[in-house]
Amino acid sequence: MFGRVRDAGLLVRFPSPPRQAVETSMEITEEAGLTAPRGQELRLGWFAEEGTSVAQGAPIARARDDEDFALVAPMPAKVARVRLQPGKRLAEVVLFAEPGADRHRFSIKKASKREEDALRRLLLNAGLWTGFRRRPFGRTPERSERPAAIFVMAVDSRPFAADPITALAGREEAFDRGLDALATLTDGSIFLCQSAGKALAERSAGQGRVQKIVAGRRHPQGMPGYWIHQRFPAGLDAAVWDCHAEDVAAIGELLADGFVPETRLVRISGEALKKERLVRTQPGADLRGLTQSVVLAGPHRLLSGSPLDGVEARWLGVRDRQVTVRRHNPPGPERHWFADALMRRAYPKPMIPTAALSQAFGASLPSAAFVRALTSGDSEVAVNLGVLSLLEEDVALADYVLSDKGRLPRLLRGMLDELEKELAK
Amino acid sequence: MTRGLWDRETVAWLLVAALLPVAVVWIWLEGAPAVTRLAFAFFLMGIWQIVFLIARAQPPSLSMIASALAIAILAPEDLGLLPLGIGISFGFVAGELVFGGWGRNILNPATVALAFLGFAYPAFDWPQPLVPVAWAAIPAALLGLALGVMSGGVLLGAAIVGVTAALLGALSPISIEAAGLVLVLLVCDPVSSASTRIGGWVNGALYAGFIVLFDAYWAGAAPIQIAVAAAFLAALAAPLLDEAAIAIWIARRRKRHGRT
Repeated sequence: MFGRVRDAGLLVRFPSPPRQAVETSMEITEEAGLTAPRGQELRLGWFAEEGTSVAQGAPIARARDDEDFALVAPMPAKVARVRLQPGKRLAEVVLFAEPGADRHRFSIKKASKREEDALRRLLLNAGLWTGFRRRPFGRTPERSERPAAIFVMAVDSRPFAADPITALAGREEAFDRGLDALATLTDGSIFLCQSAGKALAERSAGQGRVQKIVAGRRHPQGMPGYWIHQRFPAGLDAAVWDCHAEDVAAIGELLADGFVPETRLVRISGEALKKERLVRTQPGADLRGLTQSVVLAGPHRLLSGSPLDGVEARWLGVRDRQVTVRRHNPPGPERHWFADALMRRAYPKPMIPTAALSQAFGASLPSAAFVRALTSGDSEVAVNLGVLSLLEEDVALADYVLSDKGRLPRLLRGMLDELEKELAK
Repeated sequence: MTRGLWDRETVAWLLVAALLPVAVVWIWLEGAPAVTRLAFAFFLMGIWQIVFLIARAQPPSLSMIASALAIAILAPEDLGLLPLGIGISFGFVAGELVFGGWGRNILNPATVALAFLGFAYPAFDWPQPLVPVAWAAIPAALLGLALGVMSGGVLLGAAIVGVTAALLGALSPISIEAAGLVLVLLVCDPVSSASTRIGGWVNGALYAGFIVLFDAYWAGAAPIQIAVAAAFLAALAAPLLDEAAIAIWIARRRKRHGRT
C-alpha cells in the first residue's frame, strides 16, 4: 500500500553457521559433472569418448537437434564417464581434473563485431547459452528466438545467495560488453535488476536499451520471476529471457579473448556446516568435493540451490550458484494409529489467506486466488493472474510459508507443462 | 524438514491468540456462566469434528475455538442448552464441516449459527455488549493485524465508514460497540472475508454501511442482532467483491502490459 514496492516480501532465516573468512577462495574440484538444465531433457548427437583428454572450454557433447548446442569441459579434464538414458538422453557426463592441460580458445572474429548469427553460434558452442532461460515455461530458449525483453539479475534475494556484486567486482568492462551482446539478441529492453546504489552499467551499455530496476532486500524481490511479472509479463507471443549478471560478464569475457571463464561464484551454507564458504568454482562442480572440508559429522544432504528451491544433487546445477547442506534426519519411530488418523489426511489442508502469503509473492498478485487456481488446476484463471511469467522458484517461498512441502512448485510445473502442450503448438 | 509456519493450524492458533483480549475481558466480567457457554460450544463442536474425522477423514481444526468464543459471546441470552446446541450444530455442520472443514467454508460457522438462532428463536433477547469487552476489540484487532491473520483492508474500511457515520451522528455509541465486537469476532475471519486488497476495503466498508442502514431503518432490533445480520450479508458479498477486485486487477494489467 504505502511504499510497498521496496518493502514487499519476506526475510526468511535458516540456520547456518556464521561466515568467518570474508575473502573468497578459488577451488576447482577433482571431479565435475555436467547435467541437463533442471527439468529439461537433452538428447545428445555427439559426445566425446570416455578417456579423452579435453581442454577447459572445449566441447565434449553436442545436442542431437542442434549441432551448435554444446556442453563444454568446465576444467582441463579427462572424460571419465558418459551416462545416458534411453534415447541418448543425457544423465550426466563425469570428468576428472587433469591439471596442466590447456584452455580451449574460440574464434570470436565475427561474433565480436555484433553479427547476430555468429554471436548466437558462439554462445551455443561455448556452453553459455544455458545461462538463458525463457518464460513462459522456463526452458532454455531455441537458438533463433528473439525475446521481447531480457532481464539481467544483478541481485539475488534467496536465503544465503552470494551477492552478484561480488561476482562482478573487477569485471565491469566485461559486463558492459556482455550487455551490448545481449542487445543484439533482442529488439526490446534489457532490464537490469540491481540493489540500491550506484548504477552497475554505463548509460550507453546495451545500445542504450538498458533499464535499471532497483530491488529491495526482501525475498522475492531479487527473483527474475517477480520483476518479469511486475514489469514485463511473459506471454505466448512475447518470450522473456532472464539471465544472471555473472553470466553476462562471462559472455563479455568470452567476446574479449575467446576463453570461457573458468569459475563462478558459489556460496555454501546450511545447518550441517562448521562454517560457511564463498568459493569460486567450476560449473558442474562436485558438491561433495566442495563441502567435505567444512561439513559436520553425521548424515547430511547436499542441495544444489537455496534452501527454498534447491534439489538434492551430486553436481552443481546448470544455473545454480548456491549449495545448501542440510542435516539428514532419519525417520523417527512409528506414530500411534490415532495420531496417524489425525495427521495423515485424505487430502491436503486448505490454505488460509494471510498477510504472510500475500508477502510471499511480494504482494504482486491476488495470492489467495492464485494459490486456489494452482491447487484446483484452474489454468485459465492462473494464466489471467500471470502464471506464464512464473516458475517453480517463484512459488517456492509461498510453499515454504504455507508449509506445503513442495506441493506448490510441483503443481505449478504440472500446470505449465500442460499449458505448454495445449497452447504452444 | 525446515518449513514455514503459516499452515492452517498455526493460523488458527494465531487467530485465537488475537482474540484473547476479548476472551479474557469477557470471562473476567461474566464469570462462570460465560465459561459454561464457551465450554458447551467447544465440546459440541469437538464432537462434530470427531464425527467428520471418522466419517470423512476430515482433519479437525482448532479454529473452532474462535468460532465457539464468538457464539458464546454473541448468542441470545437465556436460550437454554437445547436451542443453543441446535444452533451451534447447524452453524458448524452446514456452515463449515460439509464444505470440507476450515479453509474451504464460504461463511463463518459462528455467523451462520448466530443468524440461525436469530431466525429460529426471535423471542429471546440478544445480549447487550459490555463496554470493556467492546473496548477489548481494539487490541484484538491490532494483534490480528500485526500477526497478519486479519485483513487490514477489512478493518480500515469498516473503521473509516463507521467513524464517518459516527461523526455525522448516524450511529449510537451502543451500536458502535456491538459493531466493533462483531467486526473482530466474525467479519475479520481470514477465510470468509475478502482476500484481495480492494475487496477487503469494500468488504469492511460494506459491513459498516449495513450497520448504518439497519441502525436507521430496522426498528426494534438489538445492536448485536444488527451487527450479526450485517456480518452475514457482508460475508455473503465477499466472494463477489474478490471476483470484482480480481477482474479490476486483470483489466489494469491488460491495459498496462497488453497481456496478463
